Amino acid sequence: MALAFHRAHFAVPVACLLLVGCVLPLALLLVFSFFEVDLDAFTMVPAFSGQSWSQIFTNPVFVFLIGKAVVSGAGTAVLATFVGYPIAISMTRLPALWKGIASIVLLTPLYTGEIVRIYAWRVVLGSEGLINAVLQWFGLVDEPLKFLLFSPFTTHLVLLYNNLPFMVLAIWISAELIDKRLIEAARDLGARPLDAFLKVILPLTTPGLAVGAFTVFALAAGDMMTPSLLGGTSGATPMAMIDNLFGTAFDWPLASALALSLLVVLFAFAIGFATVLLRLNGARAVFRRGLK
Amino acid sequence: MTRFAIFTLGLAACFFYLPIVVLGIFSFNASSTMAFPLSGFTFAWYADLVGNTAFQDGFVTSFLIAQPVGLLAAFIGLVAALALTSSRMWFRGAFAVLILVPFLVPKTVLSIAQAMLMSWVGLGRGATALILAQTIVAIPFTTTIIAAVLIRLDPRLEEAARDLGATPWQSFRRVLLPQLNVALSAAYSIGVILSLADLTISMFLAGRTQPLSLIVASEFRRELKPDLNAMQVVVLLLTALIVALTEINRRRRLRGRTAHLRDQT
Repeated sequence: MALAFHRAHFAVPVACLLLVGCVLPLALLLVFSFFEVDLDAFTMVPAFSGQSWSQIFTNPVFVFLIGKAVVSGAGTAVLATFVGYPIAISMTRLPALWKGIASIVLLTPLYTGEIVRIYAWRVVLGSEGLINAVLQWFGLVDEPLKFLLFSPFTTHLVLLYNNLPFMVLAIWISAELIDKRLIEAARDLGARPLDAFLKVILPLTTPGLAVGAFTVFALAAGDMMTPSLLGGTSGATPMAMIDNLFGTAFDWPLASALALSLLVVLFAFAIGFATVLLRLNGARAVFRRGLK
Repeated sequence: MTRFAIFTLGLAACFFYLPIVVLGIFSFNASSTMAFPLSGFTFAWYADLVGNTAFQDGFVTSFLIAQPVGLLAAFIGLVAALALTSSRMWFRGAFAVLILVPFLVPKTVLSIAQAMLMSWVGLGRGATALILAQTIVAIPFTTTIIAAVLIRLDPRLEEAARDLGATPWQSFRRVLLPQLNVALSAAYSIGVILSLADLTISMFLAGRTQPLSLIVASEFRRELKPDLNAMQVVVLLLTALIVALTEINRRRRLRGRTAHLRDQT
């Protein structure tokens, strides 16, 4: 049989599948966002009026919800950076066998599923849960701390828990790639551990940091279940709003516009952040080279 | 410095496993209210699971949905990875981005967009819709796993097979595929695990189909009950079993291959 097509052609069916299953739905959001709802006939009609979009920009609720998602995602990313960095750096110091074990230990909670993790934290933080029981046992508090459950605190603790492995993995991989001799050289040349960290390790792990922050930010800001199941009254997210508009309110145009604006804001933030981080890193390298 | 590393990692392990351990403890606690101090040891909550048909049906549904997702995602991942690592591919960057889209777009936004598309063209939500949507979300993971192995393979092996007269299919079947076994089984398990673990996509696309995650979510919106703990522990153990079997399989094949190489030399 003559070789009629090459392996590169395998991309075509996969691309078609992704275009239909992933890009087309997102494109449809754009189309729907310019429709209007005819509530009498209970259908959508093409209007191209931009009505939904003007609602997004003028109604403070939408702006607030999107802002909240961004702040929440960014906060989780910052938290994950500070918690994840020492973990990742510690992992590079382990002997080879333990590195394998540590990565399995790190990844296994990811396999347990969203609902198991959310559920388990509710057991830990509930008014009769572990933390409150321990606090009361030691007499530190008289009655259960209510803010441990159904509060922004809980939401972000669990968002951190859910997304930390992504941050650790990203930093760990980039830290493993550092040539150990660079650190030794810095130490031999008289750099204190802190200097070696700030001037050698940190700049070289910036790409991993950027990837990790991007991932954690996008995942945390786009999460709906964690805030809605653990956040209580503070658990309103643009996602839940979109769900409401789509299902109960039958306002697909507004739901589409909201979903798209969230997507655009998330991407703008994530890309902007990554660019700034990489540029800073590059600028520092140039600055150092200039000093020599 | 090593002491610092051990301390940090110990603390991290505590954070990662605290909720899971607490879940396990309460699943054996005799009292029906989940509170400290613990009141005694019991298997009652596990015994309850035997009679709980709602949970069992949910688990069977989840399991039946996860199988095609794992198989499809592994197969599509293989096709995509073969294309991605092909030397003649000029639009590699664009294709790589396209493969990553399902990972970059928040699952909620993606599933609601998919739900809109399906309602609009008149397709019902249900098991088929769920399988397709979960497969698409799994593709970035399976493709990267398989491509990571593919780029490390020696292309000369396949060239040799072709020079010796093998057809493209034969060289694929006899030379390439055996080397990809491990990656394919890992991709399959990732697909299965992502499907079992999913809640968000199910929320929007399951329709009347009730996977376990949806049943649990609606149960625990109301109250926490110890038999739920027992069930989560069972789900957890089953997931761990899948991971362990894949890992054992991988090691066994690796050992088999090194032994094979040793015999040849």
